[in-house]
Amino acid sequence: MAVEAAIPRQNLQIAFSAGVYDIDAIKLAAYRFADRVSVQIDLIGEDVSCVLTALTSKTDLETIGAHFRNEVIDQDLRKRVAKETESVRNLILSLAFSKTGLQQA
Amino acid sequence: MQTRRAQGIEIRAANNEGSAIFRVSEASNRPAPLCRKEGFVVREAAAPSGYAWYLAIGEKARNAIFPAEASIAYLPEVFSHISDGDVVRISPERKSVNVLFQHNARHHAFLLTERCNNYCLMCSQPPRDVNDDHIFHDLMRAIPLVDRATHEIGFTGGEPTLLNDKLIALIRHCQAYLPTTGLHILTNGRAFSDPLFTQRFADIQHHDLMFGIPVYSDLSERHDYVVQADGAFDETIRGILNLKRNGLMVEIRVVVHKQTFDRLPQLARFIARNLTFVDQVVWMGLEMTGFARANLEDLWIDPLDYQPQLVEAVEYLAASRIKTSVYNHQLCITDYRLWSFAKKSISDWKNEYMPECEGCEKRNECAGFFSSAKFRYSNHISPINSMGTGGMRCAPV
Amino acid sequence: MSKFAALENYQGGRGQRYHLLPLRFTALDADRYVLSNFVGEYYVLPKASAHDFFEHRLSPNSPMYDELKSRHFLMDDDSDVAIDLLALKTRTKYSRLPNFTGLHLFVVTLRCEHSCPYCQVSRQNDDKADFDMSVEYANLSLDLVFRSPSPNLKIEFQGGEPLLNFPLIQHIINEAKRRNEIAKRNLGFVIATTLALISDEILSFCREHHVHISTSLDGPADLHNRNRPRPGSDSYQKAITGIERVRSALGRDQVSAVMTTTSASLNCPIEIIDEYVAREFHGIFLRPLSPYGFAVKTKWFAAYDAQEWLDFYFKGLDYIINLNRQGLHFTEFYAATILAKMLTPFQPGYVDLMSPAGIGIGALVYNYDGSVYASDESRMLAEMGDQTFRLGTVRDSYETLIGSDALLDPIEASFAGSVPMCSTCTFEPYCGSDPVYHHAMQGDFVGHKARSGFCQRNMSIFRGLISRMEADPETRQIFLRWANR
Repeated sequence: MAVEAAIPRQNLQIAFSAGVYDIDAIKLAAYRFADRVSVQIDLIGEDVSCVLTALTSKTDLETIGAHFRNEVIDQDLRKRVAKETESVRNLILSLAFSKTGLQQA
Repeated sequence: MQTRRAQGIEIRAANNEGSAIFRVSEASNRPAPLCRKEGFVVREAAAPSGYAWYLAIGEKARNAIFPAEASIAYLPEVFSHISDGDVVRISPERKSVNVLFQHNARHHAFLLTERCNNYCLMCSQPPRDVNDDHIFHDLMRAIPLVDRATHEIGFTGGEPTLLNDKLIALIRHCQAYLPTTGLHILTNGRAFSDPLFTQRFADIQHHDLMFGIPVYSDLSERHDYVVQADGAFDETIRGILNLKRNGLMVEIRVVVHKQTFDRLPQLARFIARNLTFVDQVVWMGLEMTGFARANLEDLWIDPLDYQPQLVEAVEYLAASRIKTSVYNHQLCITDYRLWSFAKKSISDWKNEYMPECEGCEKRNECAGFFSSAKFRYSNHISPINSMGTGGMRCAPV
Repeated sequence: MSKFAALENYQGGRGQRYHLLPLRFTALDADRYVLSNFVGEYYVLPKASAHDFFEHRLSPNSPMYDELKSRHFLMDDDSDVAIDLLALKTRTKYSRLPNFTGLHLFVVTLRCEHSCPYCQVSRQNDDKADFDMSVEYANLSLDLVFRSPSPNLKIEFQGGEPLLNFPLIQHIINEAKRRNEIAKRNLGFVIATTLALISDEILSFCREHHVHISTSLDGPADLHNRNRPRPGSDSYQKAITGIERVRSALGRDQVSAVMTTTSASLNCPIEIIDEYVAREFHGIFLRPLSPYGFAVKTKWFAAYDAQEWLDFYFKGLDYIINLNRQGLHFTEFYAATILAKMLTPFQPGYVDLMSPAGIGIGALVYNYDGSVYASDESRMLAEMGDQTFRLGTVRDSYETLIGSDALLDPIEASFAGSVPMCSTCTFEPYCGSDPVYHHAMQGDFVGHKARSGFCQRNMSIFRGLISRMEADPETRQIFLRWANR
């Protein structure tokens, strides 16, 4: 469950339940937003706390916060999909680079 | 001398040789050593000497005098098309006379077997589970007699790969005796999902061999439904991949009807993306024979009604630089954007025109109809005149 | 018809849980996701449907099910040939790699008689022969050219103004052809020139050896002359006259034009394209301004930001699409390169959009002073004082140059398949790594893609191309033609 609290004007805190959201997903999302906000990530109790700090005075933290939440959800989903398709991905790659005679070029 | 009679055919074989296969001559000056192995067509009262067989066709020929030791087949008028260069089989036991190779036909197809492991909804040669090995033996004898200047011959069926080793033997035989004749084999391709089997075909090193393989959809279940065989799609696709791995030529054939027309563009995209290395793709009109008649309700759609999908599919392949053609479609119900892709594709023994074609100036370029089309054909056939009116050309797109 | 089974008989797999095939996804816009597989096939669907799809809730009766199956995003128990096909397609996308380095750039002189402020090459005025490549260096460079495994070799002459050292060009072409009698590659030659110095003698030689000409045309006369000052202020006129001379001497398709975007260009994409149409070129490459050479020194690069350029690009692209709708076959070449990756099984091999990076693998540069660089941009960086991508000299062995850390480290470090953001990016199959750009802009080979102009620009273009194809079937057809040029 995500809980938002706006502290001073330039910061926005979002908390993600550690039991629900993968910490890597949160970090990947933070990486993507690094051109707009810097993100301080801490574990507080059972929540992963993210404090978003605007990098410019023009940053619209409300909107960015919403996009950030969506991005965390997407990253989480990506991880699940990657895990689910990992074995067939390895199968395809090993087939692709084994010695076969078909070249399309 | 054995005499057999059936349906106006009377065969007097000089000896008990079983079936005879020979080349037919109408030339008055054929060298004697060749005559001794060939058959001569007699239509009048006179017959030259020296031939192994005489084909006496029609009433007048009944009065001809033939050499005492010759074998003779008296045939009714319906056989009058037999002519110089044909290859004929005469079976005294079965009282049958078959033209195995018709020299002046535009297309030459040899049926190898009636057995098949698919069961297509629209099959024009419904499968029969019979032992027809004799066909192989007949062809092995007939191939060396086929005119070596023939541009191309085809193998069809049933499913030719069911002959296994015998198919390979036939191809080798063609390469040996018809070294400049192209060979086009129609097959469902499933047997080629075995890479070792496929490699044996490459080892023949035939100079001009192409496999025509139907693929009816980009979706496995739709293809399997049309060919009525579970798992056929996967085997066919793997077969195509193996054939190309071995450097063999592949043509993809798509019969357009109610069960295939809606996904033609998706199929074109699928081919361009996954099978980009095929040598060509042909889109074919439905032939109203065999199972197609029985399944007409599920198959019939007026060709005019699927032009949008066909245009999209053909243009997609053309833009992707894959060679593509449209077969068996009449020009007046074909979108004019496809005219440059349309070929005169119908074998002469099947080809006809309809009453609605009266006055059409495009007959020479048009594929016309299968004779079986009388059963059902488009409601929109109309003559095209040199002003460019008539037909789909002026139809709103 | 009891001996024929119904369609439902063959759809048993749809009743079961379908399997996801490897895929990535990202938002195309507020309402839709775009999915991609690792051979670059894509599919756009509403976000809610995508979530259904990932949760295995997508109905087998949905037309989206058919499309996802056909494009190899899902597999069901009816068929598994998708695995073989995906493996084959992957192999095809990588099949060009063993035949590396097809493009070889010879900087035959640094002298030039233009004074373009954005010039990415330090230029000297006409009469300093110290800035010409020597015959010895040219021969050593050719040794290296023929060590490349590529069956197709394109030798491109650059400068400064290469025609100022035309005798060396003649030598290199003759010598290359002589060596090719044994090497038997497909050899092609290009001269990149302003055409101000073209002569009948030069044209006659080019005709004899099938040399292609590449020239600069920035737009209509006032724009072109403003960008490209020269004594006499007649750069545009020289270019136009030159183009016609080359066409009539060598053939109408033997000359192509390249534009450079400056802040002055940004306001007039249509006028620039119209100029190219008027000159009967088959297309245009709408280029960004690269951050090298004089551009940085004269602050032209800072003069506009990424969004301004994107507006310029899409205005130009949409105008070109309309020209195509009117029946003109005119291509935007950057889009065409990306569309080849999106719509065909092939890999276009364009140096700036390759992963592994195109440095060295796509092209090599032999400078007038005998140094060897991994790419054109690498040389420009060196002219600014940064030698990071200098591989060595023409006296070094081929193995030393191609095996050098200067080349292999950036290729390895920047490989998109293993760097943050790129390795999971939906658009990675369409993109490339550019270690030279990121080194110049951010100080390392990889860069932080969230702050990368390269990334921002390309992602906007990918989304823009896909959205346009989703919106209009005619655009899809036009793009398909561009992709298969």
